[in-house]
Amino acid sequence: MPARPAAPPAGGLGWANLGMDIVSVNRVRRLLAEYGERFFERMLTPGELADCRTSSGLDVLSLCGRIAAKEAAFKTLRVRGRFLPWPDIVVRRSEGGWPLVELHRAAAEMAAESGITEITVSISHDVDYAVAVAAPIIAPAPAPATPIQ
Amino acid sequence: MADGLQTVKNWILDRHPERDDIASDLDLIENRLIDSLSFVEFVFLLEQESGTSIQMETLEVESIRTLGAIEQHFFHAPAQAPVEVQA
Repeated sequence: MPARPAAPPAGGLGWANLGMDIVSVNRVRRLLAEYGERFFERMLTPGELADCRTSSGLDVLSLCGRIAAKEAAFKTLRVRGRFLPWPDIVVRRSEGGWPLVELHRAAAEMAAESGITEITVSISHDVDYAVAVAAPIIAPAPAPATPIQ
Repeated sequence: MADGLQTVKNWILDRHPERDDIASDLDLIENRLIDSLSFVEFVFLLEQESGTSIQMETLEVESIRTLGAIEQHFFHAPAQAPVEVQA
């Protein structure tokens, strides 16, 4: 097998790796039916689950959107050999309804290693699928200290 | 093959009808037999079949990369101490 080309690292000023994900509503419905809400308690925080709840219970499309957004955000980090740290990438509904990503613990460490300070996401869904796209926000490297003359 | 490991193998095969077998050294992740969403379900299954509680946050990718690794990490019975037979 020929050697694979090397991808640029996750961070670096002027370079942003987008992340994208798609989640099947049928797949999530099956998981919900088979395991109940407790299955998703390993993937979503109580606050995220509350964001997905309506008066009639968990809204599956919202759930799929959150899952897709977490996966898309994780893809921007370009980490090898690690699983998605589900509870560490939190996607909340902000005032106005836009999704807002918070990075905690392992996810925050992975982002910091790449100079990523924030991740912005956009979510969309329609009947059978939810999709999300994510873009990292790279902090400019601190300017080198000017030597004292 | 341990019953639990066979259950794990069957679980993967059920979700990938294009395959009729999985070699013990096949990379399950590279070959997209386990993805992020199925990984959570997979952990549920591993806990159920191995009788151990698994912390997803500390689980190493290498421990579930192949069926061989899964067997070693989750279904490997500790060696029995030799039993002394009284003459």
